[in-house]
Amino acid sequence: MRFKKPIIAITAVGMLALAACGGSGSTNGGSGEGASGIDAETLGSAGSGMNPDAKGPVEIEGAKEGGTVTVLSFSGLNSMDPTEAYYVNTASILSGLVTRSLTQYVYDEESGDMVLVPDLATDLGTPNEDFTEWKFTLREGIKWEDGTDVTAEDVRYGILRSFDRTSFPEGAAYSNDYFLDGDKYKGPYKSGTEYAGVEVEGNTLTLKMNKPFPDMPYWGAFPAIGPIPEGKDDPDKYRLHPMATGPYMFDEYTPEKSLTLVRNPHWDPATDPGRTAYPDKYVMDFQTDNTKIDQIMLNDQGEAQTTLTFDDVLAENFRTFQNDHEDRLVLGGQPCTSYWAPDYRKITDIKVRQALAYAYPYKDAALAAGLIENVTRIWGTNLMPPGIPERAEFNPLPDHEPGTTDTAKAKALLEEAGETGYEIKWLFANDDPSSVKAKDVQVRALKEAGFSPKPVASTIADLSTVRADPDADINVRSAGWCSDWPSGGSWFPPVMQSTNLDEEGLGSNYAVFSEPEVDQKIDEILTMPTEDQPAAWNELDKMIQEKYFPLFVIGYGGVAQTHGSAINGHNIDATFGMPTWKDIWVS
Amino acid sequence: MTTADLEQLEHELPPGEPVDKKIAGKSPTRIAFERLRKDKVAVISSAVVLLLILMGLFAPLICSLWGIYPDNSDPASPRPSEVLSFDTFPAIGPPYYPFTWEHPLGLAPRTGYDNLARLLYGIRTSLSVAAAATILSTVIGVSIGLVAGFARGWLDRLISFVIDLFLSFPFLLGALALAPIIISRFSTNLEALSKAQVIALVSVLVVFGWMALARLIRGQVLSLREREFVQAAQVMGVPTRRILFKELLPNLVAPIVVATSLTLPAYVAAEAGLSYLGIGLTGVPSLGQTINDAVNSYAEYPLYLWAPVVTVMVLVLALNLLGDSIRDAFDPKTRR
Repeated sequence: MRFKKPIIAITAVGMLALAACGGSGSTNGGSGEGASGIDAETLGSAGSGMNPDAKGPVEIEGAKEGGTVTVLSFSGLNSMDPTEAYYVNTASILSGLVTRSLTQYVYDEESGDMVLVPDLATDLGTPNEDFTEWKFTLREGIKWEDGTDVTAEDVRYGILRSFDRTSFPEGAAYSNDYFLDGDKYKGPYKSGTEYAGVEVEGNTLTLKMNKPFPDMPYWGAFPAIGPIPEGKDDPDKYRLHPMATGPYMFDEYTPEKSLTLVRNPHWDPATDPGRTAYPDKYVMDFQTDNTKIDQIMLNDQGEAQTTLTFDDVLAENFRTFQNDHEDRLVLGGQPCTSYWAPDYRKITDIKVRQALAYAYPYKDAALAAGLIENVTRIWGTNLMPPGIPERAEFNPLPDHEPGTTDTAKAKALLEEAGETGYEIKWLFANDDPSSVKAKDVQVRALKEAGFSPKPVASTIADLSTVRADPDADINVRSAGWCSDWPSGGSWFPPVMQSTNLDEEGLGSNYAVFSEPEVDQKIDEILTMPTEDQPAAWNELDKMIQEKYFPLFVIGYGGVAQTHGSAINGHNIDATFGMPTWKDIWVS
Repeated sequence: MTTADLEQLEHELPPGEPVDKKIAGKSPTRIAFERLRKDKVAVISSAVVLLLILMGLFAPLICSLWGIYPDNSDPASPRPSEVLSFDTFPAIGPPYYPFTWEHPLGLAPRTGYDNLARLLYGIRTSLSVAAAATILSTVIGVSIGLVAGFARGWLDRLISFVIDLFLSFPFLLGALALAPIIISRFSTNLEALSKAQVIALVSVLVVFGWMALARLIRGQVLSLREREFVQAAQVMGVPTRRILFKELLPNLVAPIVVATSLTLPAYVAAEAGLSYLGIGLTGVPSLGQTINDAVNSYAEYPLYLWAPVVTVMVLVLALNLLGDSIRDAFDPKTRR
């Protein structure tokens, strides 16, 4: 049975995280061809623009109403409870079509970027001076799919649910991290609805924080920060049919397998500054093999004309799409970084870590994993992907072109450190052919550089569990991380701040990196004035990489999706690397 | 076969052929071989099987003479980035570039491994796994069948029950459940893992493959044990072991050979099938694995898929036809 790159959520301090098998893609020198790639400059510019004045209704010129859109994917579909929707596919489908939250992203045709606009709230929120209190005023006339009014109390209840890490272990934990008493309040099921952090006054919500949270409008765009009707929200049942406030509602839904969305008659476009709803129906299937999806999309016959997929085209079919069906191939960015994280406790010599970065077979591993250079694999060295405000490129390794392997240099460094024959142990999924192939090229490259590679076999099902075990017998972890919003605040606290290994495990600090200086610096930046933060995060990125080099970046992500000839408005939502659901129409 | 059978056999020989009474002591096996030699299908299929066996046996030699590599363990083998284009298709040879003798069957996308080398090593894997499984399941099946047939009463009933039990256990489920267990058990030692996978695969094939033969042998023994020569041996006080192996076994050569020759191709197909599903071998080249990989790029690169598919087909077909011919030769009653 074949499995595709699994999308794995990180739960501890979670963000949208992506498990990548590492690697990189490359044009062969001799053949002289290459993929005309995506714009690496704007890759991760996950909605850095804001427009608090956007007004509904939204109309697309020339767009027609009607039709059924078929959506195909191979990656399954996790919990659709809005509080728990923290995978790129669940979060994007819910917020694009079904549920509304305080704020939302819309696609800006001109810049090709996502812009944050209000959704249920009338603007992007009003903070107090030090960003410890936010006020959001709700719009009038928002209704549930059954016709009853959505009240501020419903939104409050939805936010309360986002504190519950036991009922919703896969959900994001920003409420716990930033809200008042977030570490003590455990959600309405355990701690009751008495909670002082969210107050309702008429149509206005007041959110209180325990520390400055200037990024609150971004967190407000998650499905978790939307209304949930109290009394109809049993976590085991609600995930099967979350109540719609957006243009579509659940019709039929089989978890992990398929989902049919039909029009929600009570959605009023005049209240929505982001969504259009031209198609009558969405029929989604999440278990179609990628080979089959590609063939359906290539043939473009009958129903395939109104079909789209959010899975990447297989590398093997990319050339055909690019040459013959370029108009139906959508390339775009995904604000994700893949990296190799040597265990900071075990590989203590910085030279060994640097040697590893020189020795890594970037291009070979990308080819083996089926990634295409400049399309689904973009080279880089910063931990933060391109597009994040004030990001400045730097290279912590002298004479190293990103994406190239320098065996001689690695060998020399290793000799200098007196560690020739250093044992490297990392995990691969023995039942995933791509993972096995990537492992084979990694073994060879490390061996040539003077390491003793000892790959450890695991399975697709177990890999992330073993990787998250601080005591696992491995000393390098292959990992990936995606921005939740364009700020270092969604990168360094989860990826680089030390965690309490006994209590919370690795969290998402796969390097098991722990330096008091860095921990302190992260806390400092979080309390800085917002305008100074972007530069400070970049400064920190550079400082960590140059001084400690705890991990090396393999590259950034990108997506290559396809759609049928009758689908319009399929662009890439760079906050997720998913289709722009809000703009789709059928011609 | 008893002497009575033998006489009957000789009477059945075509009347036109002069039967030399002086060498009337031809063994049934020898007669069967003579028949096989005259059977064109048998000759052709055994030639094909022999060729494939030689290809598998001399795979390392052929590869080193040709300068091709089935994987990247050799420092001289090409790196993916040296021989592949940006979209993982080979930058030399099919599908986008003309045929080259350096890589007659082309290179594998994503890895740049040589397809011919993978094919030769794949045949080697297929045949050795199938042969090992066949030998083991034959030995087990024959022994259990002999004991079950000869022992009356509770032992026979017990063994028959065990046979039914194994027959009712879902083979694919067993194989699917075993794979992850083995991976986690041998996760740190890849060489041991690769060996464990071979042993596990052979065991799975054997554990779910001996029952048919055991039943067949039991049935044969049930009828043989009432024959006079067996009863005579029992009366004379010959030990049971001796009766089983010296009196009964020689008379069971024909069904054993026939069953074996038909099991072998079934195992070849099963090995490819399990590897295709990802629960077979991963550390060594295997035809099933190659077929699984090739499905992704079939539209652009059909040769990559057809080469292993045709090889498996030819191998299984040749073995099956040979098995049919052997059955015909050993069992004249079914002769067409």
